[in-house]
Amino acid sequence: MNAGKLLTLVQKEWLELLRSFKLIWVPLVFVVLGIMQPVTSYYMPVILEKAGNMPEGTVIEIPLPSGAQVLADTLSQFGVMGLLILALSFMGTVSGERNSGATSLVLVKPISFGTYIAAKWISMMTLTWGALLLGYAASWYYTWLLIEQVAFGPFLLSYILFGLWFTFILTGTLLFSTLLRSAAGAAFSSLGLAVLLSLLAGLMPKYLSWSPGSITGSAYQAVQSLEGFDALASFGWSIGITVLLIGAGLIGSAAMLRRSPALD
Amino acid sequence: MNRLLQVEGLVKTFGTTQAVKGIGFNIKEGRCTALLGPNGAGKTTTIRMLTGLLKPTEGKIEFQGLRPGEDQRSLLGYLPQSPAFHNWMSGMEYAVYAGKLCGLSAGEAKSRAKELLGRVGLADAANRKIGGYSGGMKQRLGLAQALIHRPRLLVMDEPVSALDPIGRREVLGILKELKEETTVLFSTHVLHDAEELCDDVVIIQSGQVALQGSLSQIQSDHRRPVIELKLEDKESSMEWARSFVERHQTDDAWRMIIEDAHLEDRTLRLTVLDMEKARQALTEELAKQRVGFVRLEAGYSSLEDLFMKVVGA
Repeated sequence: MNAGKLLTLVQKEWLELLRSFKLIWVPLVFVVLGIMQPVTSYYMPVILEKAGNMPEGTVIEIPLPSGAQVLADTLSQFGVMGLLILALSFMGTVSGERNSGATSLVLVKPISFGTYIAAKWISMMTLTWGALLLGYAASWYYTWLLIEQVAFGPFLLSYILFGLWFTFILTGTLLFSTLLRSAAGAAFSSLGLAVLLSLLAGLMPKYLSWSPGSITGSAYQAVQSLEGFDALASFGWSIGITVLLIGAGLIGSAAMLRRSPALD
Repeated sequence: MNRLLQVEGLVKTFGTTQAVKGIGFNIKEGRCTALLGPNGAGKTTTIRMLTGLLKPTEGKIEFQGLRPGEDQRSLLGYLPQSPAFHNWMSGMEYAVYAGKLCGLSAGEAKSRAKELLGRVGLADAANRKIGGYSGGMKQRLGLAQALIHRPRLLVMDEPVSALDPIGRREVLGILKELKEETTVLFSTHVLHDAEELCDDVVIIQSGQVALQGSLSQIQSDHRRPVIELKLEDKESSMEWARSFVERHQTDDAWRMIIEDAHLEDRTLRLTVLDMEKARQALTEELAKQRVGFVRLEAGYSSLEDLFMKVVGA
């Protein structure tokens, strides 16, 4: 792998993200999602009163959720809407270029398949981690303004854990994008994987605590209290297995690309 | 002369069909070679194997002068049939990008890109988005990006087939200059382009090499004197032509001078053994039989005739 060529490819990906405005609207969506959670939690009684069609004189008393609870809810929003948007914006990252024939010009240059995949992955991750940080930080700030301050440690740890979960699923999007011809197929396969893993981890927490699906749960726990967090013995396992699977996904993508660099 | 590329026993199988069945040829340094063949003969498949985009099922592709550990793709410049770029980039950006991917430094890539874009006539359009380029402009940008790292061998797949007559002239003009500087291999089904540009030809037919050698050698080996007679659209003339086609084989006097005769629409084509005698005898025959003709032409068989003979069409 050659650093100069890798940088060239990454720069091209960044430029593409910028020119297609993904670099702007994806973080924007995350920020809006992030702000909405504390704001709606705070104003829920007012919203219900104004728009709920309640009979005159109804008294609404909803206890204000804790700041940590709001942040955990924000993460779960990101886990659905945010992941959907990211998977949709990256679904054609390899298959689109391959279908158009752009890869047959790039891959005859003396670059390795691994470098090409790595560049795609790095650019995807910069957008993912960046958008997640902006959105989550916005949520944290508004939670602080409206409800209460959440300590920085739990915030940071839950951010990193959630980023890892995103990285895992989006590596899947990249792998499916090299594997399948259809971009929509890649998006749905990786989102399906996310749903399946979360569901299984939720249904059988005892047996599947080592699976990547349990990372989201760890993230929710982390933001609520760092003290109770260490109790999860399988935490290390799920992290280790996720990192291993991400590596395997990248190697698999490069191998798939080597097998068919271009169509026909 | 130095061999730059040696291809031996190249086979490619897709599922159960064998697209390329053991092709072998050499490309000599500094020569321009055309890979000729009808559609579906395996030209594109062969070229894609040379560029490394397709893995050969069997066979060897060997570049001479490749340093150990060096990527063979660094010696190659490749222009596919219809190159696809990133439409959101400008021509200049793409050329620089291609240069950097080939290992040029940023400064070097920029100066090379500028030079080449000027050379292919894209200097004015260099900063426009590729999405707005015409087919001919894309082809020319394709050439520029293929040449950016001064490849030893320029490989092109049907470089002018998809272009209109103007774009075609432009690209052929550039290719004529280029072949003075580097070794060129291109595939085509347009014989005229091959005749105009190349030194060597490799004719392939259903995945096999049907004929190969230098163009001049092939032409002198296979060139036959030919008389073409275009007849008037009158029944009596056509009647004569039909009877002549049958007669020339049985009649001893004609058999001595005419090798083959066949009628296509209103054109009678005679492949002759002795031009002098045939011309004499034919004009006498035409006068005697009062055959009305529109055109009478004596010449030599072209590469197209040879091609048709070789591919058996």
